[in-house]
Amino acid sequence: MIAAMGYEHILVEIEPPIATVTLNRPKVLNALSPAVIAEVSAALAELDADDSVRAVVLTGGAKVFAAGADIQDMADQGPVDQLLRDQTGRWAPLAGFKKPLIAAVNGYALGGGCEVALMCDLIVAGDTARFGQPEINLGIIPGAGGTQRWPRSAGKYVAMEVMLTGATLTAQRAYELGIANKVVPTEMTIGIAKRIARELAAKPPLAVRLAKEAVLKAFEGPLSEGLAVERKSFYFLFATEDQKEGMHAFLEKRKGVFKGR
Amino acid sequence: MNAIGAVTRTQLADAIKQAERDDAVRVVVLTGSGRAFCSGADVTEMAPGAGMRTPEDVGNVLRNEYMPMLMRLRTMPKPVIAAMNGPAVGIGASYALACDIRIATPEAYILEAFINIGLAPDGGVSWLLPRLAGTGIAYEMFFTGKPLQAADAHRLGVINRIVPAERLEDEVRDLANQLASQPRQAVAAAKRAVIHALTSTYEEAMEFESYLQEAQAASPEFAEGVQNFLARRAKK
Repeated sequence: MIAAMGYEHILVEIEPPIATVTLNRPKVLNALSPAVIAEVSAALAELDADDSVRAVVLTGGAKVFAAGADIQDMADQGPVDQLLRDQTGRWAPLAGFKKPLIAAVNGYALGGGCEVALMCDLIVAGDTARFGQPEINLGIIPGAGGTQRWPRSAGKYVAMEVMLTGATLTAQRAYELGIANKVVPTEMTIGIAKRIARELAAKPPLAVRLAKEAVLKAFEGPLSEGLAVERKSFYFLFATEDQKEGMHAFLEKRKGVFKGR
Repeated sequence: MNAIGAVTRTQLADAIKQAERDDAVRVVVLTGSGRAFCSGADVTEMAPGAGMRTPEDVGNVLRNEYMPMLMRLRTMPKPVIAAMNGPAVGIGASYALACDIRIATPEAYILEAFINIGLAPDGGVSWLLPRLAGTGIAYEMFFTGKPLQAADAHRLGVINRIVPAERLEDEVRDLANQLASQPRQAVAAAKRAVIHALTSTYEEAMEFESYLQEAQAASPEFAEGVQNFLARRAKK
């Protein structure tokens, strides 16, 4: 295992073919300060470029995923401060991450923390996990995609409930709504997320990347556009070595070995 | 008769919270002093002009006060035993039924008395009682307001054991001590598995079990348990 250096607020462990990014400010419940966001974004940019890494787990550790932004620091800010700081826009490397990104959520995923989880591709929830957007109670609204990703994932009425009441959802409710893929015992959350990451890392990387891209297209634009993207990606994959390997391995009843070419 | 009013409610909530948080506490026993386990909510509080002024107050007390403490009682990661020294009525029955194990004297009974004053079941019994006694028995109790006597409750599996009043304290203490000496994490895991299973499918429950079991298999409790097992076998 290689621990990437140079980060103050997060831990980055690279265990090829996977990596784990851990928000590491437990004293402030992993509040998402601009510095944390910058570090996560930088780490993800690095991991996206690192060929030894094929899937990434994002977690807040055993107790809390991330309980929102640093309110102390925002309380007396003006709109121009917020715009110039562009705190929410800085999550772009996360939303645009090309490899599978798995959120391992224990405890609170609130506000920005919840939005970060929703930017991931799969969510593994510990049985203590709580999801919510309590921004309304502070006189603001979610600012990192919550109002858009909730209705697209859980539907309008759940989104409204979450957004307007500020009440949190339990792990079990999140699972029933399809927000969490699995509910697992808290002490196993990160381990199971890593296991899933390893499973995905063994899949043909180009197909994984294009599948992810195509699914994310479903959240944007009309169906015809999404279908066009899917079709072109489908044809394109027949130009890859991995497709030849995958199909021949299947015919020869052996396990395919994929190179991402 | 241990009726629960505003003061008792607050104190009980605090005590339950403390029992959960205190690591030195391995097993919790809930009992009543005197002749009753608990005679239910203090109805005088619900009378016009009393503490609960509006119907909404009734609902708020249930949602904001009873719910969190009953959920804590039912889900805390340590065994909770009801020592039913006498009748458990209304919200009192809710407490008894929210415990993991019930030991009762022959004089004890469970009574869902709501219907007698024109109310519907509350405090979680609409969920607990059909699971513990079966739907038919639960409906009968809710519709008639007639008690389920200790002997019947025992026969139905709602009460684990009946013991003479003078033996209740000792029996419960023995059981509590026995549970306190069990592998702590394994006991908590058993409780977590059941709680999870009660709201999931067979398949989901088995998957959850399998993860809990992995965590147990990695624990010192398991290592020690296996070692002791092999040592015992070698002696034979």
